[in-house]
Amino acid sequence: MDLFVSALVTGVGLGSMYGLLALGFYVTYAVSNTVNFAQGSTMMLGAVMGFTFGVTLGLPWIVAILAALAVCVAWGVIVEAIGVRPFAARGSDLWLMATVALGLILENVVLFTFGKDPRGMPASALSAEAFSAGGLRVSVLQVTIPVVGLLIAVALHLATRYTRTGKSMLAIVQNPDAARLMGIDVRKAIVGAYAVSGLFAGIAGLLIAPLFTVSSSMGTLFGIKAFAVAILGGIGNPWGVMVAGLMYGSAESLITAAFGSTYTQIVTFGLVIVALALRPDGLFGRAGVKKV
Amino acid sequence: MVIARKARTAGRGALAVAAGLLLATSALAADPIKIGLVAALSGPSAQSGEAITQGLTIAIDEINAQGGVLGRPLALVKRDDESSPPKGATAARELIYDEKVAAIFGGLDTPVSLAIVPIANKEHVPYMGVWAAGTPITRNGAKENYAFRVSAVDVMVDEALLKYAQKHGAKKPGLILINNPWGESNEKGLREEAQKLGITLAGVEKFEDRDVDVTPQLTRLKNAGADALILVANAAPGAQMMKSRERMGWKVPVISHWGVSGGRFPELAGPTAGDVVFVQTYSFFGDQKPAGKKVLAELAKKYSVKGPEGVISPVGVADAYDAMHLLALAIKKAGSTKGDAIRTALHQIDEYPGLIKTYHKPFSAQNQDALGPDDYIFVRYEGTKIVPVH
Amino acid sequence: MKLSLPVDARVAPAESTPRAARRALALYTAIAALAALAALASFFANGYQQYVIAMVAITAIVGVGLNVLLGLAGQLSLGHVGFYAIGAYTCAILTTRFAWSFWAVLPLAGIAAAIAGALLAVPALRVRGPYLAMVTIAFGFVIEQSAAEMKGLTGGWNGIMNIPRPTFFGLQMDEFGIGVAALALLALLLVLFARLRDSAWGLAMRATRDAEVASQSIGIDLVAIRTLAFVISAFLAGIAGATFAILTNFVSPESFPFFQSITFLLVVLIGGAGTVLGPVAGAIVVVLLPEILSFLAEYRLLFFGALLLLVLWLVPEGIVGAIERRMRRRAAHDARADEPRVAAYLANDATRARGLGVDGLAIAFGGTQAVKDVSLAAKAREVTSIIGPNGAGKTTLLNLIGGFYRPDRGEVALDDVALPRGVTHRIARAGVARTFQTTQLFARLTVLENVLIAQRRGELGGLHRALFARDHDDESRALAEALLAFVGYRGSVDRPAGELPHVDRRLVEIARALATRPRVLMLDEPAAGLSEGDTNRLGELLRRIAHLGLAVVIIEHDMNLVMGISDHVVVLDAGRKIVAGVPRDVRANADVRAAYLGEGELAIARSGARKGDDETVLAIDAVGAAYGALPVLADIGLEVRRGELVALLGANGAGKSTLMRAIAGLHRPLTGRVLLLGRDIGLLPAHRIARRGVTLVPEGRQVFPELSVADNIMMGALALDAREAAAEVERVIARFPMLGKLRERRAGLLSGGEQQMLAIARGLAARPQIVLLDEPSLGLAPAIVESLYRTLEELRAEGTTILLVDQMARLALSIADRAYVIQSGRVVKHGSAADVRNDAALEKAYLG
Repeated sequence: MDLFVSALVTGVGLGSMYGLLALGFYVTYAVSNTVNFAQGSTMMLGAVMGFTFGVTLGLPWIVAILAALAVCVAWGVIVEAIGVRPFAARGSDLWLMATVALGLILENVVLFTFGKDPRGMPASALSAEAFSAGGLRVSVLQVTIPVVGLLIAVALHLATRYTRTGKSMLAIVQNPDAARLMGIDVRKAIVGAYAVSGLFAGIAGLLIAPLFTVSSSMGTLFGIKAFAVAILGGIGNPWGVMVAGLMYGSAESLITAAFGSTYTQIVTFGLVIVALALRPDGLFGRAGVKKV
Repeated sequence: MVIARKARTAGRGALAVAAGLLLATSALAADPIKIGLVAALSGPSAQSGEAITQGLTIAIDEINAQGGVLGRPLALVKRDDESSPPKGATAARELIYDEKVAAIFGGLDTPVSLAIVPIANKEHVPYMGVWAAGTPITRNGAKENYAFRVSAVDVMVDEALLKYAQKHGAKKPGLILINNPWGESNEKGLREEAQKLGITLAGVEKFEDRDVDVTPQLTRLKNAGADALILVANAAPGAQMMKSRERMGWKVPVISHWGVSGGRFPELAGPTAGDVVFVQTYSFFGDQKPAGKKVLAELAKKYSVKGPEGVISPVGVADAYDAMHLLALAIKKAGSTKGDAIRTALHQIDEYPGLIKTYHKPFSAQNQDALGPDDYIFVRYEGTKIVPVH
Repeated sequence: MKLSLPVDARVAPAESTPRAARRALALYTAIAALAALAALASFFANGYQQYVIAMVAITAIVGVGLNVLLGLAGQLSLGHVGFYAIGAYTCAILTTRFAWSFWAVLPLAGIAAAIAGALLAVPALRVRGPYLAMVTIAFGFVIEQSAAEMKGLTGGWNGIMNIPRPTFFGLQMDEFGIGVAALALLALLLVLFARLRDSAWGLAMRATRDAEVASQSIGIDLVAIRTLAFVISAFLAGIAGATFAILTNFVSPESFPFFQSITFLLVVLIGGAGTVLGPVAGAIVVVLLPEILSFLAEYRLLFFGALLLLVLWLVPEGIVGAIERRMRRRAAHDARADEPRVAAYLANDATRARGLGVDGLAIAFGGTQAVKDVSLAAKAREVTSIIGPNGAGKTTLLNLIGGFYRPDRGEVALDDVALPRGVTHRIARAGVARTFQTTQLFARLTVLENVLIAQRRGELGGLHRALFARDHDDESRALAEALLAFVGYRGSVDRPAGELPHVDRRLVEIARALATRPRVLMLDEPAAGLSEGDTNRLGELLRRIAHLGLAVVIIEHDMNLVMGISDHVVVLDAGRKIVAGVPRDVRANADVRAAYLGEGELAIARSGARKGDDETVLAIDAVGAAYGALPVLADIGLEVRRGELVALLGANGAGKSTLMRAIAGLHRPLTGRVLLLGRDIGLLPAHRIARRGVTLVPEGRQVFPELSVADNIMMGALALDAREAAAEVERVIARFPMLGKLRERRAGLLSGGEQQMLAIARGLAARPQIVLLDEPSLGLAPAIVESLYRTLEELRAEGTTILLVDQMARLALSIADRAYVIQSGRVVKHGSAADVRNDAALEKAYLG
């Protein structure tokens, strides 16, 4: 029994990381129907910048965190400007390839500037024990991640419900033309969405870094799993994406706990295929109206 | 008209092919003796390629400072295999056919080495493994075997690991292995060795290079009654395993392959880094012989390595350094850069005082591995220093 | 099995046949020359270069396969490495473990991958866009991981070594031999690809890519076609994988990483999706570039990424795609008329033909009854028109008959045989053809190809025939041309359909529908956007088609046309049939007049004179606009003064909504100026125009369905600062008391009338200089319309400046100060509301 309790705790922790990163896919897709396919590398950028500012340069933590997030936001804007807009404006799907290329460039630049050996982010205060579950010590940080993930999902939800900017973002999703008629600058909104997407990836990177190792390739597999989560959630609402993240993470660790680790990847990716075959618009997505 | 136009397109296409090949073949003047390296220089394993490059460069500079070999300087030609066997095989061909290297050094990935070795054997170019420990690299069954190695061999390490565990009272060790070719090679070796030694394994669990949390796997081993863990993984994933073990509050002994020796393991794993006892062929800590002091000084000078704890991978550096010197010795002995001559000369090396040890007849036609079980030492971290156990 | 294209002159050939043959021959020659050249280069090259050439050929073979999937069928795959791996492992296992000959294994490797392709097609066909991307990514991972875990079979992570190289007539093959074999295979596959592309199968694939719905409407089985594309694509990846296995002698899971799938996709995209030689160019770049850059060692990937980005920027349509675009010559071949041929093809046995019978069809969408128990009969040899105001359910009815929607209840029968429910391609094959409100031609097919593929009615014949025999005989070409000539198409038949002007699109679409040899032809607003002359010719064409024995069903707003050509008219309103009969009776019917002109008791009394000065708020000066090739507005001029309510009248398709959209900046005018308070706003983006004070309340309300009523209004007030906006929301809600009660409800849940009020309220919240109201009464019940107009009248009386477009002309005139009547994109009458109301031009514009 302990085995499954602790697996579930682990799964929730992992899943919220996937969910957090997947929210970055959600914000841009919602506004522009495009995503930064290399979102994982933006997450890596957040962790690497956090390490560089906080450990290497020894800046005060709050400054380091803000600076790292600022870099991620800037990167999000750059991705939109040179990897997405030139193609999306022509109605071409090549943004997918272009964002992959940008991710490749970013990872390699980091490899040669940050260094080739993985680094460990010190996390003394945050790694203190929060509680125990199933014989498993759960640190403050591990609780922080799902909390932040859920907070962001709640914040997105509240922002879109109670702030004018958030509502106008929703308006763009629901009807871009009508949004223009309301005086909303849709292009600016898309840039904004990419900035926010970069921000989320940066937050995810900073939160995951102390639990993980910081290196140029830390984000790749994470990014793909987060994409799977975003798709499973239906990229339609922040809740769906977060819940899909938790489900994916739990599935991973429960499968490992039950059957051993050998088939975890095969089964989880297989489940993704089955889930999408059964629900072609994601688990929590809504089907669009068929138009003739 | 149309045909002419199509023909022009075709002509342009052909020109592109030809131009590409021409560019790819633009070989430099053949004055220096070229030494090839095919290793992961980018991606997650980039640091292994970096460590090998450091070891080779220091050795080559030493040799060149003494006038090179056969009156010619040595020059290192590096190629990135991106940890992909086909890329590695392509790069090896390029080095052999276009760069005409005298020998090829290999990197960390066993599958890449396995993809290159048949080419080396076919083209009679010595292949020097300095990291990948997969058993079939040197024991490949070729009649004329060109694959040599100055590095650990998995089967031998596996034997040493289990014997160590047995000696220290483990009745039912559990295996926790990285899910890649290296982990798999050791799974095979450890299972076979366990059977030989009459050890029952509590279980075999694997984890991914990029896994954050390994508690489900460890919990399975714990529930199966594991009283020791045999770890096969590099520093970063190994550290993730140790963090999960710590969170479970599980004080089980951990005996590890050499993967955790590099890459700032103490920084990555945190306070429990010292709990891991691991195999090493060489350590830059402790009293150094002249060779060790010299290499450390060069590392500091060339790569701003501050002391032994800054060496990103001591084994990679040391193996590459010794292997390069052994190879240079053989070329000198052979009096030629021809592959078969070098191979024969490698077999004839009698004694060479290296960094890791003083080699006595390191290679023979029967055994082309320079290091054996006697060269493995068990060590652990104390702070950021590596200290021998017992 | 003949590979050369016969140039056959027995039947008087359509002119395009020999030219196509010449072009094909030139292409095959180029392919053969290219392959021979590469083989020759390989002969003189060293082992490394031979290996690279072989890798280019193998990668290009995968590219050709992916090109079938992506370039022809328009489906994305980010998991092609999975098929490649399956082929490679099949070869590795069978040749090492069972010592089978490579030559026997090669097709098996393809078949193994093809089976996986068919299996993957099951989930893949249900999803699209990023969802499809994810399904294929997951597939690639599953295969890679399975290869690692199925140790007994695959050798696990350490793979399979020493894969033997085959012999060829006793000769041991090395890099050179394998390279030459791969080049020969590639050349053969390129030729087959070219043949497939131009065959019925290829046309069908491209048709599904260009217009999914329209392809079903000509009888193409979407599932079968796309599954086939997956299967072919997987097969080629499989044999490429097998060749890769013998070239490298070694396979392991790390040979097939996810990134390789992206590389394969790049091969197609960089080369040019859908082009024959694209994958070759792509493979050269993708394989050779990293080799050229290999001296960069660890910096290679960085440069590769940067160069990749550069290529994507420079030639987004791919290298070969860009070359082809520059080389394409305007062909100038017209269709040959052959009326007897068309008559023979389309003639229907009138004694058996009973036409279309619709019995009690009904469908509801989310609580709205879009079509409610409609029955009608459309007889053979007759033209049956379905008319009714916008939103009456006409197009939905057509979609139900054609199987695009599955009816909740009711039956459709053709010649007394019940049609299958909701299976478009089977209904099409049974003899029901249609055209679309917005034309849905296969844009990247030529005009001729559009018609040729429709002749097949989805029956494409054996694939071997498509690849090895001549697929479109002169007979079908002549027929296609005859059909095009019959509908009055006068341009080149070799033009891509996407480049046609609007009128020609309509005509080609009709020819395409006729090519399926239908017994019923349904046309959805065929005259929309046509000039008077074109409309007359269209009417004549429809009569001729009916005369051949077909039942013709049209939905049309042009009453001249409807009344002129119909035998039978059915009037729908709010999803129900209200009247049916001969044109004269229908025209005289009071309900119909009410539905169209808003005549009868609905009239609002003006409650006072206009408030406001004579300043011109909005002036339109000589504005012309077009949708693509279709001119909609020509030289429109009008002005609105402060406090005025100006009505803009005209039949559907006259250009009213386009003008509104042009003013609001949603549609860029081609010529002329739009002046707001004397300043030209014609070139500003829509959101800036909105902020200047022009508010469009768009046709169909377009409220934000997921936002609450209050938030919708808040969106209107975005330009104001937060506090002011909040106050404005309250003020507007106070102005519309019915919205006050609903303020927290989601707008999507409101009734049509409530949504319209909300849209107007939202528009007013911006405190606009002028409100543009587009079709506010559309689809609303009379009582609701009345209350809506009372509100508009009050707004007018308060001094709001309004430009109003409404179908209900009399109603609009009852509250307007002045009115403009436009027809075919021009102002035909303007004056005071009273003047216009009594002018014959108005009724003519609406009822003909």
